[in-house]
Amino acid sequence: MKRIHHIVLSVMMLGLMAQGAFAKSLTSEMKEGKPEFKSMGPLAFGPEGILFIADTKSAAIVAIATGDAKAVAADAAAPPLKIEGINQKIAGLLGTSVDQVLIDDMAVNPISHNIYLAVSRGRGPEAIPVLVRIKAGGTLDVVSLEKVKFLRAELPDPPVDGAVQQGNRQNNPRRESITDIAFLDGRLLVAGLSNEEFASTLRAIPFPFRTVANGTSVEIYHGAHGRFETRAPVRTFVPFMIANQEHLLAAYTCTPLVQFPISDLKPGAKVKGKTIAELGNRNRPLDIIVYEIAGKNYLLMANSSRGVMKISTDNIGNVEGIIAPVPDGGKKGLAYETIESMSGVDQLDRLDNKHVVVLRRAEGGSVILETLPLP
Amino acid sequence: MSRIRVHGALPAVLIAGMTVIGAPVNCHPFIAGAAAPAPHEQAPQRKYSLLWKFDTANTNKVAIEVSGVSAAALQRLQKSNWGLSQWHGLLSVFVETADRDLPPMVGTYHVQPGLLRFEPQFPLEPGVVYRAIFRPDKLPGEGSSAATHIVSVFQVPRREQSIGTVVSHIYPSAEILPENLLKFYVHFSAPMSRGEVYQHIHLRDGEGKVVELPFLELNEELWDNRMTRLTLIIDPGRIKRGVRPLEEIGPALEEGKTYTLEIENELKDGNGNPLKETFQKVIKIGQPDRVPPDHTTWKIQSPKPNTREPLVLVFPEPMDHALAQRMIRVTFESGKMLEGKRILEDQERRWTFTPTATWHPGEYKLAIQTTIEDLAGNNIGKPFDVDLFEVDRREIDTSTVYLKFVVR
Repeated sequence: MKRIHHIVLSVMMLGLMAQGAFAKSLTSEMKEGKPEFKSMGPLAFGPEGILFIADTKSAAIVAIATGDAKAVAADAAAPPLKIEGINQKIAGLLGTSVDQVLIDDMAVNPISHNIYLAVSRGRGPEAIPVLVRIKAGGTLDVVSLEKVKFLRAELPDPPVDGAVQQGNRQNNPRRESITDIAFLDGRLLVAGLSNEEFASTLRAIPFPFRTVANGTSVEIYHGAHGRFETRAPVRTFVPFMIANQEHLLAAYTCTPLVQFPISDLKPGAKVKGKTIAELGNRNRPLDIIVYEIAGKNYLLMANSSRGVMKISTDNIGNVEGIIAPVPDGGKKGLAYETIESMSGVDQLDRLDNKHVVVLRRAEGGSVILETLPLP
Repeated sequence: MSRIRVHGALPAVLIAGMTVIGAPVNCHPFIAGAAAPAPHEQAPQRKYSLLWKFDTANTNKVAIEVSGVSAAALQRLQKSNWGLSQWHGLLSVFVETADRDLPPMVGTYHVQPGLLRFEPQFPLEPGVVYRAIFRPDKLPGEGSSAATHIVSVFQVPRREQSIGTVVSHIYPSAEILPENLLKFYVHFSAPMSRGEVYQHIHLRDGEGKVVELPFLELNEELWDNRMTRLTLIIDPGRIKRGVRPLEEIGPALEEGKTYTLEIENELKDGNGNPLKETFQKVIKIGQPDRVPPDHTTWKIQSPKPNTREPLVLVFPEPMDHALAQRMIRVTFESGKMLEGKRILEDQERRWTFTPTATWHPGEYKLAIQTTIEDLAGNNIGKPFDVDLFEVDRREIDTSTVYLKFVVR
């Protein structure tokens, strides 16, 4: 789950919010009812407590007005939260066994600082998606979606569907897994990966959603060695300001951290990222956030086997793109350190200006939800 | 979030801003579960009982009913404006585990004539033990002089273990695969469970040693909606030239070697049962394929008119199983699509189309999306990774190419 956070942008957004007092609410175009979900996750918060939920099984994104928009001071000293066996607690809440609970994503509401989890109750085709909320004291509840304001955007079908009956999408074995989403400047950015063609699509869908296929999509390329280039599906990404220009920092499925300007995301464009960090082999990126401490911005990135990395962005505007492999210990690209105290982290999000909330694996399949100071 | 619904003349009670919707569920005869006073507790002054009642339309949907509550107490409940924690204090259902600090199950409370009823939001899970606790002393107006708590434990019968799901096919079917193979498709005979694929699917080398991290691992896993087909993408970092994983660790599959793709029987099907047996497919690895498929070299065998003979298209190399079925269409000269059945055979080298209606003499077209892939992810006119130094690189920008054929 992603939220943009940068001092320049924050100031811009504050300005927009002030204007927004007289502008139409983003929820005003939403309809009230019961949004249907076949699956949930990834999650991302937009303004006004709007939560974007990717429903991969339905190839759709649903924006819901959570109504959870009562501001809590960002610097309020929230007591540390540690819930051991969060998956067991959720199983209890949903009345099932712990092995039938999968937590697919986590997002913090930046207004209320409540934590939202996309949960699957069950593992098979009949699994029920559930949105679980954790409040400051650690109480869990299921967010009712019986009667909420929402808007839905269907992702366009693949252009040709010769193998199945036209219009019968559920029988089409092709599915686009949504690997990450983020809201930025009136648009929802959606990175996806197909279970058939090796796609590399990044979509930008204007919000409020209006028509079905109104997003623009671009192909993301990866250059290597200054010689080869390939399609490069994005695993996780975060918006970030570099030299007063909005960029995406993206971790590809194959390799390291890259950056490209959001202005490059034009319909039909072929976008090639600049590699700014090599983060190691035998590893895959899982989640990434941006935060600020003492006027400096850092990236915090969870990885499958190399722990949580704190990456300095000091030279991000000047860093030379990496065009040749850098051996271990090489100094090219952005500097980073591994945060030893954050082992086993699968997912993370910024809780407030001083804390991060993480989901970490413990022994015996148990999962711990924990708030920690930002490193 | 549990919800409270009060039937009768009183309006619905709203908790935490949530609207209460829906009609009362019909109750059905008592099936199982017995109310029992907790051990060492004083006998209740009134005779309360807890019943677990099934919804016949959904056998795992069970409601918990408390009978024996006085009409006066029920009336006070109807008039109460309780918060969720008060309802939980009166009647809660828990999953029975070693962890006694679990939240109560989410559901709705109903006050009906002669009954207090709790409907869990989700159906009960076979095999799981549930514990319902009713505390009559929490009834409004009853006070501490009322009976102590009543506990009832219930278990939905376990699912019958039926071990029969198997791996029905693995694509590519060919025995010799390119070093830069991009995908496997694993088909199962029944829907599967997700969450443990990368623990139970391995690639082993010729000596039986597990190849380290050969697949692109995604938490969600790449299933189709029916969960009978799994896509395993070979880690692109181990295929793409010039990237660090390939340079430092090398390819997942190496030319000239033999590997075994193994799907362990511990992988569970949609009912939580293991597979009937561990499945192994032995593959030999040949040269990397960096040549884009060229549709102009595909051979068409036209059918005879006024028959439903299959149209045959033969590729010089195996194509991606899913994409070859989806990305080739047969159309009339006008572009209108023909309905029919597509089959891919001969190790994904022979594509056939049997029309629903008989062929009429005339001109037809095969419309092929250029994003079709061979086994190494090369597209028509575009290799998987483009070598920018190659001078005679040819790129086809159009998204569809056509092959014409005549039925005569």
